Amino acid sequence: MAESSFSSASPHLKVGTKDDKTSAFRKISEDEEWEVTSPTDPTFQTANSAAASSSAGNNLFGGNVFNEPQGGGIRFRRSPFANSSGDGDEDQDDFDEHPEGPRPTGALNEGFPNNYALGRRTSVSAESLNPTSAGSDSWVPPHHPKTEDQVSRLKTAVSGNFLFSHLDDDQFKTVVDALVEKPIPAKGIKVISQGDAGDYFYIVEDGHFDVYIHPSGSVQSGTDGMGSKAGTIGPGGSFGELALMYNAPRAATIVSTDSKSTLWALDRITFRRILMDSAFQRRRMYEAFLEEVPLLSSLKPYERSKIADALDAIKFSAGSTIIREGDPGDAFYLLESGEVEAFKEGVDRPVKSYQRGDYFGELALLDDQPRAASIVAKTDVKVAKLGRDGFKRLLGPVEEIMRRAEYEQIQPKPAAS
Amino acid sequence: MPSLGGLLKKRRTKDSQTLSKELEAGSSPTAAQTQTSPNQNHHSHQSHPTTTATSPDAAYTSAQPHQSSHDHHNRSSGTNRSHPEGQPSSMQSAVTQSPSAHHHHGHHHNNSHNVASIQNIIHSSHQSGQSVGGGSQQSQTRTTKGKYSLEDFSLQRTLGTGSFGRVHLVQSKHNHRFYAIKVLKKAQVVKMKQIEHTNDERRMLNRVRHPFLITLWGTWQDSRNLYMVMDFVEGGELFSLLRKSQRFPNPVAKFYAAEVTLALEYLHSHQIIYRDLKPENLLLDRHGHLKITDFGFAKEVPDITWTLCGTPDYLAPEVVSSKGYNKSVDWWSLGILIFEMLCGFTPFWDSGSPVKIYENILRGRVKYPPYLHPDAVDLLSQLITADLTKRLGNLHGGPEDVKNHPWFAEVTWDRLARKDIDAPYVPPIRGGQGDASQYDRYPEEQEAYGQGGEDIHGHLFPDF
Repeated sequence: MAESSFSSASPHLKVGTKDDKTSAFRKISEDEEWEVTSPTDPTFQTANSAAASSSAGNNLFGGNVFNEPQGGGIRFRRSPFANSSGDGDEDQDDFDEHPEGPRPTGALNEGFPNNYALGRRTSVSAESLNPTSAGSDSWVPPHHPKTEDQVSRLKTAVSGNFLFSHLDDDQFKTVVDALVEKPIPAKGIKVISQGDAGDYFYIVEDGHFDVYIHPSGSVQSGTDGMGSKAGTIGPGGSFGELALMYNAPRAATIVSTDSKSTLWALDRITFRRILMDSAFQRRRMYEAFLEEVPLLSSLKPYERSKIADALDAIKFSAGSTIIREGDPGDAFYLLESGEVEAFKEGVDRPVKSYQRGDYFGELALLDDQPRAASIVAKTDVKVAKLGRDGFKRLLGPVEEIMRRAEYEQIQPKPAAS
Repeated sequence: MPSLGGLLKKRRTKDSQTLSKELEAGSSPTAAQTQTSPNQNHHSHQSHPTTTATSPDAAYTSAQPHQSSHDHHNRSSGTNRSHPEGQPSSMQSAVTQSPSAHHHHGHHHNNSHNVASIQNIIHSSHQSGQSVGGGSQQSQTRTTKGKYSLEDFSLQRTLGTGSFGRVHLVQSKHNHRFYAIKVLKKAQVVKMKQIEHTNDERRMLNRVRHPFLITLWGTWQDSRNLYMVMDFVEGGELFSLLRKSQRFPNPVAKFYAAEVTLALEYLHSHQIIYRDLKPENLLLDRHGHLKITDFGFAKEVPDITWTLCGTPDYLAPEVVSSKGYNKSVDWWSLGILIFEMLCGFTPFWDSGSPVKIYENILRGRVKYPPYLHPDAVDLLSQLITADLTKRLGNLHGGPEDVKNHPWFAEVTWDRLARKDIDAPYVPPIRGGQGDASQYDRYPEEQEAYGQGGEDIHGHLFPDF
């Protein structure tokens, strides 16, 4: 059989006896595969026919199959892709995998994490959110006024939290505004109970809270039902952040220990909606900006969307140079907020100025010609940047995209590019 | 000598009743030795030349897979080929395909609750026109939307459990074949706010048809539960094999990764993202090929979606950071899957809480063990990257970039897609069809299905 005819291009166009045979096999096996046996169809089906069809697949390698040999370990047949030299390191006749038994330790362990959880992993999910169908335009995030002191304390409290650290300033402000004060009027109040559905994230404003964990995963009845104390959380601390991601059972019970304490609370839907709406709006803005770029006018919507995914938002403070005249061009910029100006060597005044929604440096998408002008931030600005290499990786060469629409108006903006 | 398969096909159409009895007999231990053990057969095909090599079916050699009508002509025995590969557009539903397969049915399953849709009637008659031979030419093709009922099956052991229900092995009372039924408690689905995902699960499964994806036969609901009838895939979860093996040799991981890649390519070409890749959701069929199951998070997404879902170890950074995401997340997960197959653990795992895992994901540092093949490390570093302009699968070349990566160099993709490459491991299914020995045991639940009572959630699941 044609073991080594791996290079065969199209199975459908083959002629010749050998390949005819293989395609006959294929047909049968495919046929078995697709045989339709609706559960209420009385047509007889048997494992036999299917088992027989396994012989239809080319047994290319003649590899000996040891199914669960004595001793219980797993043995794999030779490489399914034998006749290859690519797997030199492990190209043995068969793979005698680790026999069952204690996991190898020490050197054999080779980086295997301690206490690795070997059980099945549960899927997690937040509730479905959708900016358009949910009518994001009409939704306004809750706003609970806070003093400057409170805001700065809250900032410190969540600064190390991964859910907040990647938020931009606007998102962060909206999220902090949405935190609602929750007074805890007595000692011994269970704020959250282990095993319960999680919906809120809490930051401690004042007071202390004890953390209890029961090994069973949920609060049990009886005196020790909360399990053993695992710690205490004081002002500036926080708990329950996983609830901002999805509805996971609470991992611990949290009980107030002071006669009066205060928490800040934020629920998942609010948090996720704030993030989603701001990301959605930014995206729409990017897509709208991109539509205005003649060089990219022939992009299909999904391509614009892909570019929007890959834009990096970068901030520059007033006076800083974003592009330097004469440098090789490597990136393209959209101006998200603020103002910038273009300067040319030997000219005193700016040769051009740019507002929100303008773009500059787009010719860098074509090649690395030296920049024709410098771009300097007039105010604090935020730009979205896309490198030429990234653009090419995502969408292919810009030339091809331009060719699509018989791009004719390459009128480079004289200044920046 | 004709193949066993070929013989059975012919006999089946002549006398399905007799064979039906043989099947039952075949499940006895002795019969299994000679007839129904895939194992036995598998061995024999290695050494015997009496496989399909001389099968009369070899006459079809020049028929292209796409020319189904031609095919049907040649098949005097009227095989049950309902659907030529590569025509996804005609895949209205796995179930609407079934009529062409029915040569002897008619009286068995006129379930009173079958609801005809115009779409299906048209589809059915079209199909039955195509089926040649077999003699019966039923005009009473199924006009269902794939609606079954509990009475169609005898319920057997549990194959798996989940947050909203469990999966049972069942046997059809009509053809005695085995299926898997996923039972979802409506109240639980509603409580977990998974109504949309559950409806999507049915819709997406209904749309797809691919050798490496599970087939949905149909669904129904009663006052408490949703039921989804799917293939029973005998070989169990890749998860179990992986944990037993601790980790897979490079070519073994490559084989499974390649099959997953083809499945993802197919799904993405239909604008479907899968969102829950992991070994637990990959089943092995009796020959050792993969079937992706559990479409609980699969969704049609042409541009962008926002819902955080998946499995912690496998979540892409753009999901964790709630930025909105697309198909790129499946390629990230493919990277995690390959890593786990090669190493036995996932790259961002942490013994602490999931929060630690998410911090690791956002930090994005992966430590590649020294035993990994350099090509594998290269591929993984291009899949497990937060930079969407660098993630393979998400770039200009699409899935081809993944398939053309050096790690996959030996893979002949067209043959793999036809299951024309022998799997590295064939599950030891000795008991023939319905042998669930490859599945772990779960405590059985006592609650009876099919109870009456008020159905307060039914309207939320109109497709079931």
